[in-house]
Amino acid sequence: MSGRARVRARGIARSPSATEVGRTPVSPSPASVVLSDNEASSSSEFMETSRISLNCKDGVSSGNVGSTFSERGVAISRNFMDLDICTRQKLAHVRDCKTGSSGIPVKLVTNLFSLDLPQDWQLYQYHVTYIPDLASRRLRIALLYSHSELSNKAKAFDGAILFLSQKLKEKVTVLSSETKRGETVKMTITLTSELPSSSPVCIQVFNIIFRKILKKLSMYQIGRNFYNPSEPVEIPQHKLSLWPGFAISVSQFESRLLFSADVSYKVLRNETVLEFMTALCYKTGLSCFSETCEKQLIGLTVLTRYNNKTYRIDDIDWSVRPTHTFQKRDGTEITYMDYYKQQYDITLSDLNQPMLVSLLKSKRNNNTEAQLVHLVPELCFLTGLTDQATSDFQLMKAVAEETRLGPLGRQQRLARLVDDIQRNKDARFELETWGLHFGSQMSLTGRVVPSEKILMQDHVCQPVSSADWSKDIRACKILSAQSLNMWLILCSNRMEIVTESFVNCLRKVGSAMGFNVDYPKIIKVQENPAAFLRAIQQHVHPDVQLVMCILPSNQKNYYDSIKKYLSSDCPVPSQCVLARTLNKQGMMMSVATKIAMQMTCKLGGELWALEIPLKSLMVVGIDVCKDALSKDVVVGCVASINPRITRWFSRCIVQRTVTDVADCLRVFMTGALNKWYKYNHDLPARIIVYRDGVGDGQLKTLVEYEVPQLLTSVTEASSNTSSRLSVIVVRKKCMPRFFTEMNRTVQNPPLGTVVDSEATRPEWYDFYLISQAARQGTVNPTYYNVIYDDNGLKPDHMQRLTFKLCHLYYNWPGLVSIPAPCLYAHKLTFLVAQSIHKEPNLQLANSLFYL
Amino acid sequence: MEPGARRGSGRRGRLPSALTRARPAGRPEAQCKSESEAEIPSVPVIEFNPQLYRQRYQFVKDLVDLHEPKKVADLGCGDASLLRQLKIYPCIQLLVGVDIMDEHDLRWNGVKLQPFLGQFLMPRELDLTVILYHGSVVERDSRLLGFDLITCIELIEHLDPDDLARFPEVVFGYLSPSMVVISTPNSEFNPLFEVVTVRDLDHKFEWSRKEFQSWALHVAKTYNYSVEFTGVGKPPAGAESVGFCTQIGIFRKNGGKAAELCVSEQRDQHVYKPVVTISYPSLQQEKYLKTALVSEVWQEVASLRVEYLRGLKEQEEGRELGNQPDACSEAPILWFGPVFTEAGKARIEASSEPFSVKDKFFVPLQRLLAHPRLNHLGASEERMRSLIADSVTLSSDGSAVVTDLHDPPDDDPEDPPDPWDP
Repeated sequence: MSGRARVRARGIARSPSATEVGRTPVSPSPASVVLSDNEASSSSEFMETSRISLNCKDGVSSGNVGSTFSERGVAISRNFMDLDICTRQKLAHVRDCKTGSSGIPVKLVTNLFSLDLPQDWQLYQYHVTYIPDLASRRLRIALLYSHSELSNKAKAFDGAILFLSQKLKEKVTVLSSETKRGETVKMTITLTSELPSSSPVCIQVFNIIFRKILKKLSMYQIGRNFYNPSEPVEIPQHKLSLWPGFAISVSQFESRLLFSADVSYKVLRNETVLEFMTALCYKTGLSCFSETCEKQLIGLTVLTRYNNKTYRIDDIDWSVRPTHTFQKRDGTEITYMDYYKQQYDITLSDLNQPMLVSLLKSKRNNNTEAQLVHLVPELCFLTGLTDQATSDFQLMKAVAEETRLGPLGRQQRLARLVDDIQRNKDARFELETWGLHFGSQMSLTGRVVPSEKILMQDHVCQPVSSADWSKDIRACKILSAQSLNMWLILCSNRMEIVTESFVNCLRKVGSAMGFNVDYPKIIKVQENPAAFLRAIQQHVHPDVQLVMCILPSNQKNYYDSIKKYLSSDCPVPSQCVLARTLNKQGMMMSVATKIAMQMTCKLGGELWALEIPLKSLMVVGIDVCKDALSKDVVVGCVASINPRITRWFSRCIVQRTVTDVADCLRVFMTGALNKWYKYNHDLPARIIVYRDGVGDGQLKTLVEYEVPQLLTSVTEASSNTSSRLSVIVVRKKCMPRFFTEMNRTVQNPPLGTVVDSEATRPEWYDFYLISQAARQGTVNPTYYNVIYDDNGLKPDHMQRLTFKLCHLYYNWPGLVSIPAPCLYAHKLTFLVAQSIHKEPNLQLANSLFYL
Repeated sequence: MEPGARRGSGRRGRLPSALTRARPAGRPEAQCKSESEAEIPSVPVIEFNPQLYRQRYQFVKDLVDLHEPKKVADLGCGDASLLRQLKIYPCIQLLVGVDIMDEHDLRWNGVKLQPFLGQFLMPRELDLTVILYHGSVVERDSRLLGFDLITCIELIEHLDPDDLARFPEVVFGYLSPSMVVISTPNSEFNPLFEVVTVRDLDHKFEWSRKEFQSWALHVAKTYNYSVEFTGVGKPPAGAESVGFCTQIGIFRKNGGKAAELCVSEQRDQHVYKPVVTISYPSLQQEKYLKTALVSEVWQEVASLRVEYLRGLKEQEEGRELGNQPDACSEAPILWFGPVFTEAGKARIEASSEPFSVKDKFFVPLQRLLAHPRLNHLGASEERMRSLIADSVTLSSDGSAVVTDLHDPPDDDPEDPPDPWDP
């Protein structure tokens, strides 16, 4: 089957005319959408002032985007869409004040910069029509721009919608221009709205202005960010170039408009796709080459050598060669080889290479019409990292070492960017004509909430550092543990002796922490995944409490096949340990302690607790990810089932599409409430749901579909008073960064720092919390947005409860970046998406079997 | 200052706004036609395929292909679209545009002349500097001396009589490049257009072939050039007698490159204002050469190591005579892989082979330099050693690159499948 046919077979909409294959590189590219979210979009064609992402057809506003401001015909990109969901309005208890009070104030420096406008500043939006109508956007723009009436004004124009910072004298202005063929064209400019600076459309125009400014600083736009390719960091042993750059945006924060910038790196491969293919072929041999090649390349984004565009590889067409011809726009046929020679003076060295196929979606008019393009592997560079690369530890380590940036380094980069903007004449000119004043770095005051005590069985411990209390609890007994009487260990012959001493160690540390471990049955197996699986199938019977496997290597199929069988087909908790881990000199005790704790949890034990002032509170964590193979949506939900919040009900559901998420939440919630009722003989008075895995632009779906579904299951669970529900969106990635200034340097803020003013959004009940320690690099605050709240807790209590929940992840004796239920849900979805690829057996739902 | 090459925004000042044209900058057709083939109905009559402006650019590109000039200037560069087409040529090392248009607009046009992102990953071999000057073509600027090619595409018809009179003296007399290309409308073609008397209101004149040729011959004679006439935009069948739509004169300096001699005699005369200067990444710059070298060295060492290990394995397994169809020994198949020339092969055979001592693998620099791609970078062994020294490990005598013979454990020893760390 040809590549084209296969793309078709995959059910992707195809261009109406098949002759368009390979045609796109010919066109001077109607690259339009600047504010695109898609990494793979054709993004970095340099835009003129005018090229903005306005969504219109034939000069008539279409208004087909489902948000309130879209009737003005402006398509708002996804990350701005969320700002339109004003959830705070409905929450009476935080309408006036959403700030907490406890803790010690701390002064913080941010990566936000003030952007001031004159008091009465407005943006004027006009609609422009042409008589006779002109199809060419470029011509429309050229005619309007050259007109003296507009020549000295700050403007942004896409061919139909015009933005000005100064109002024209008349509401309707008629101008006429003459085309070079002597035809008079009448342009009617009609005022359609006057927008305050806080309006989403305005915000988008500000973003366009700043994009223009960064281009002026010789930075290149790739995706949403800007990079400087002339100062790369090279990692030659992995053929990587890292381009430093910035993610920038302008948005309306709590009380003012702010510009935010954060350091970002773009990963590029120092090899062409052809070189990649050659190396791969050399490695795999011919027989399975094309299959492996497709597996590794499809879905990746490439950068072409002869323009600044990026394309997604959707397929490889093995039947087309550079010597084949395609039809140009003018109807003539030309070979790819001649085309690249003629157009770009590039001589292809390999005339037998196949073609990459990319599907271009027309962004201009939002229809599904797509175009297929052929790309020459020799002329494409790979960007980003392949799945294989991300699982290459050495490579990832090298990347992390190069890109990790401490607070001071980050601060210096930001200062340089701001300085560059302020020194650049064109940037200044641009800002001035729009009336923008770009100013100082913003400081604000956060609070460091009090640290928490860790409750062990007969000991309350105040950790020295809440980042890691493993030493503090060493002598303490854990809360509860089931004794382990019937269990198996599988290991290879040569690991037998080590395994035995490990068991002794495990028994010793186990008894110290209150976890009784009997001698296991040790089964010796050959060193291959099938042998391990066969032995498990043979020896596991219903009374076996746990299976431990000492894996000879971390080849993924050992782990995957064992986990798949024991999580789903034959539900028994399992513990995998790498042989190498046990062989480490002098580490046996500490390894055994960690593994003993993990095993306790897998058997349903509890390690430690915190003081939770609310009685009868259920906390829920939800995370969503995609299955690595099937690309199905994997939804993980974890709910506490005791008031102490030490025991959990965990369930993972695999869905065909994202829109089903709401439905499975209802099923889960009902199950969790039943469990709670079973153990506590009542329903929880309060339920607080932490929802992770939310992408840009999904807030509306959450508010409109997921929250109602959760509410329904809560109301249905009880005939009289039902539990009160709160839903909080958790985001690990957010724009703001916070630093403390100390001894003339900048540092990460202390653990427990809360920010609930200035850097927050007026339309939301939101706050930032720093709950994890960054040993190296800059800490990323976690962002919380309470989108639904029946509980009416004071903001201070909500913040502190959230902080407490970050102490309860049993896989790590210290604070974690998100509330424990979310991290559990994440761990569960990860196991399902990466290894077992189906729903785990419900019999395991009462233990943290996936740790 | 009386403007010289007014071909764009400059016109705004003089014309009533109602007549202002659709060109904020630069070449008229380039602006208007490039996206829209038939945007204005009712005036088609003559359609060129490829469009006329493209034919003009192609004409210049063909000349560049043929003569491989090093220094090229486009006078009246407008929106820089010709320069954009020329910046891809490996032979060009200095590319200059001059225009009188609004300085701010000219600066913006410079953005389009930035190198492509891919050129940072795969730099040019030779340096390229692109400069846009703000200035008039009838002013002398010594920085334009000594050029191999100067193009004046659809320029002279925009010049006032005064400027037109000064133009030859500046371009031919003063700048005196090896070659000048001048294109201008052929008025004999105009009757074929329905409405047009002059093709652009800013045209001060449009010449017949005879008028242009007599002007050109006079100029050529005065400044010791020879001139050849041609054109682009073939007339439709039946109207061949009117000649090309655009007429072109190619002027070649008699006696070749005399210009460079004079350069030193000229006093520096800087009247143009440089508004854009872009330096392209190239292998002539140490930074990029180093990156290229290091990355090629890593790649070559890695593939030699794989080959070497494979050899060892085969030796170990004894000589079971080729009964296993080893996919890899089939040589990296039909299509890709480095194509070794005979000379290349000989170089490799003459160089010393990689070897191993204990668990270290050594690749002599000589052997690396023999590889076509490294050889192509043209660094001496000494230079290569100093460039790669801080990116690879060298043997104690510096004659070879050293790596581990076997792969390091490819995963984090701290990271068992059931990680403790969050």
